[in-house]
Amino acid sequence: MKTLRLFRMLSHSQKADRATVLLPIVAFAVVTALLLIVLGGAFAFFTWTGSDAETYKFLAAVAIALLVVPLMTLGGSAARLSARRRDDRLSTLRLLGATPALVATLTVIESTVLAVVGAIAGIIAYAALVPAVQLIPFYGGELAGKMWLAPWVVVIVVFAVAALAALSAVVGLRGVIVTPLGVRTKQSAPRTHWIRLALGAVVIVAVFVAMKLLTAEAGTFVVVLVLGVGFGVTIAVLNLVGPFVLRRVAKRGARVAKTPARLLAARGILESPKAAWRQVSGVAMTSFIAVFAGVAIAVSDGAEGDGLFPDIRTGVVITLVASFLMVACSAGVNQASAILDRRDLYLSLDRLGMPTNTMDAARTRAVMSPLRWVTIGSALTAALVMLPLTGMALLKDPTSLLIIVACLLAGIAVVWLGLRATRPVLTRVLSEPEHAAI
Amino acid sequence: MTVLSAHNLTKHYGDTAALAGVDFAIGAGESVAIMGASGSGKTTLLHCLAGILTPDSGEVMFDVPGGDSVIVNLLGEGARSRLRRESFGFVFQQGLLVPELTVIENVALPLMLLGQTRQQAIGNARPWLVALGLQGFDARRLGQLSGGQVQRVAIARAQVTGASVVFADEPTGALDSATSDEVMTALIHSSTGRGRSLVVVTHNEDVAARCSRTVRLRDGVVLAQEVQA
Repeated sequence: MKTLRLFRMLSHSQKADRATVLLPIVAFAVVTALLLIVLGGAFAFFTWTGSDAETYKFLAAVAIALLVVPLMTLGGSAARLSARRRDDRLSTLRLLGATPALVATLTVIESTVLAVVGAIAGIIAYAALVPAVQLIPFYGGELAGKMWLAPWVVVIVVFAVAALAALSAVVGLRGVIVTPLGVRTKQSAPRTHWIRLALGAVVIVAVFVAMKLLTAEAGTFVVVLVLGVGFGVTIAVLNLVGPFVLRRVAKRGARVAKTPARLLAARGILESPKAAWRQVSGVAMTSFIAVFAGVAIAVSDGAEGDGLFPDIRTGVVITLVASFLMVACSAGVNQASAILDRRDLYLSLDRLGMPTNTMDAARTRAVMSPLRWVTIGSALTAALVMLPLTGMALLKDPTSLLIIVACLLAGIAVVWLGLRATRPVLTRVLSEPEHAAI
Repeated sequence: MTVLSAHNLTKHYGDTAALAGVDFAIGAGESVAIMGASGSGKTTLLHCLAGILTPDSGEVMFDVPGGDSVIVNLLGEGARSRLRRESFGFVFQQGLLVPELTVIENVALPLMLLGQTRQQAIGNARPWLVALGLQGFDARRLGQLSGGQVQRVAIARAQVTGASVVFADEPTGALDSATSDEVMTALIHSSTGRGRSLVVVTHNEDVAARCSRTVRLRDGVVLAQEVQA
C-alpha cells in the first residue's frame, strides 16, 4: 500500500511537465511499432513455399537477429529514460532511508505503466504503417496482405516490451540502490582498458587469415562454419573495442578542442564511452553486415535464382534503414530527456552568453561523432575482413556497394535529423526560465 | 562613476507586478546587495539588469568599458547574449558548473566562448584558480570538490573574462555559515578588489553586510537603501 501511495504521489507531481512522461511513451511506441513491423515481415517470409523459401526464411531470421540489438538499445533507452527521470528523486528517497526493494518496486511500476501505454500507441502505429510497408516488392510482390500478426503475437509483444522496461529500469537503477551518493555527484568518469584494443586487433587478424585460407575445396560445412564464426566473432570484437576507441577519440578531442562545442561534446562522450557506444552500436552490426552482404552480392554472378540477390540487397537496405531509424529515435529520446534533465544547466549557460547554436552543436556532436566512427569503422572492418573480395566487388559491381554506402550516408543523415528534431525542446527550455530553479 | 543603472523599471507576470518603477545604480568597484522577501522582485531586477529579461518599461544603461553607453533592454537577443558573454559574470546558488568538464575547463569555458582555443583559455584561467586558492585542482571533477570549493570555481568562471559587473544570485544559499563567509570574502576580494562591480541577491543579512550598500525591495518597489558603515 505504501509503495502504491508513493507511486501515485510521484506520478501526480509529474503532471507539471508532460514531456517527461510523453518522451518514454513515444519511445516505447516506436519500439513496439518497429518490432511488430519486423515480426510481420518475417512472418510473411515464413508463409512462403517454393524452391528458395528456406533461404528466405534463413535470411529473415538473420535480419531479425540483426535488428534485435538496436531494438533492445532503443527499448533500453526508453526504459532508462523513464527510470532516469527518477534518478534524483529516488536517490533522495534512498538517502531518506527507503529500502532498496521500495526504490526498485517504484521504478518497475512506473516504467511498466509507461511501457504498456507506449506499446498500445505502438500497435496503432503498426496498424497504420503496414499498408505502406507491404508495398515493398519481395519475392514477386507476395508480401501484400501477409504482414498482419495474430492477436496473441501482439499481446506477447506488449508483454515483452513491458518486461524489457521493467528489467532495464531495475538494471539502470542498480547504481542508485548500491550507492546513492555516487549517482548524485558523478564523482569519477569510467575508464576502459587498452587490452580491449589489443584483443580486438588479434581477433580481426585471425578472422582475416581464416578468410584468406578459405577455399572452395574446403566443403560447404567448413565454409559456412568459418563465415558464421568469423562474422560472430568480429561483431563481438566491435562491441569490445568500440567503447575503447570512442574514449581514445574523445580524449584527444577534448585535449585539442578549439571550440566550446567540441570540448563539451568530447567530455560528454568521456563521461560514459560505454553509453555513447551503446546508443549507436546497433548501427555497428548493421553497417558491418551491409558491407559484408554487399560484397558477397557484388562478387556473385547472380546465378542462384533470378530474384534472390536483388531481394537480399532489398533486405539489407531495409535492415539498414530500420536500424538507423531506431538509432535516430533512441538518440532523439536520449537527447530530449538530457535537455529536460539539465534544464538549469542549459539556462545557466544561456545566461553566461553561450549561443543556443553552440549548445545545439555540442549535443549533436556528442552523438554524431561516435556514429560516424561506428558506421565507418564497422564498414571498413567488414571490407578488411573480406579484403580480396572487396576489391573484386568494387571492380565487378560497384553499384551494389554504392547503394550500401548511400544507405549508410542517408542513415547518418536520419540520425542527424532525429537530433535536430529535439532542438525545439532546448529552445522551449531556454524560453521558460521561470520553470528553472535559478 | 556609474557603470550600470536602471530607471523606472516595470515588469509584470500576468497581473502581478514584479517590478513597479525601480531605480538602481552601481558604480565601479562597488558592491550592492539586493534584499527582500520571496516574490519582492529581487531576482527579476537582477535578470533585467543583466539583460536576461527585458522590462515592460524603463531602461537599463550600461557603460561599455572603453566605449559608449548602451541601453541594454533595447538590444536584440543576440546582442544581449554577447554583452553577457563579454561584460558580465554570473555566480548561481548551486554553482551550475558543467559536471563533465574538469575544474579548469569550467573556468576556461567563457574564454572559449570569446574565441580562445582550449589551450589558450586554460592558460588564462589557471591564475584565477591560483588566486582563489584552488591551485592543483585543475584536473579535478566537480564531484570531488566541497560546496565552498565549487562556488569558488564558479567565482573564477564569472570573472575570468574580466567582466565589469558580476551578478550573484544567492551565492551562499547552499552553504553553511563558515563556508558562506569564506565564499563571500573570495567573491568580494576578487571583484570589487579589482575595481569590478558586484550585485548580490540574497536573503542573508550577514551576506548583505559584506557589501557596500543594500537595496531593500518589497512588492516590486525600493523600500530602502542603506550604505554600510
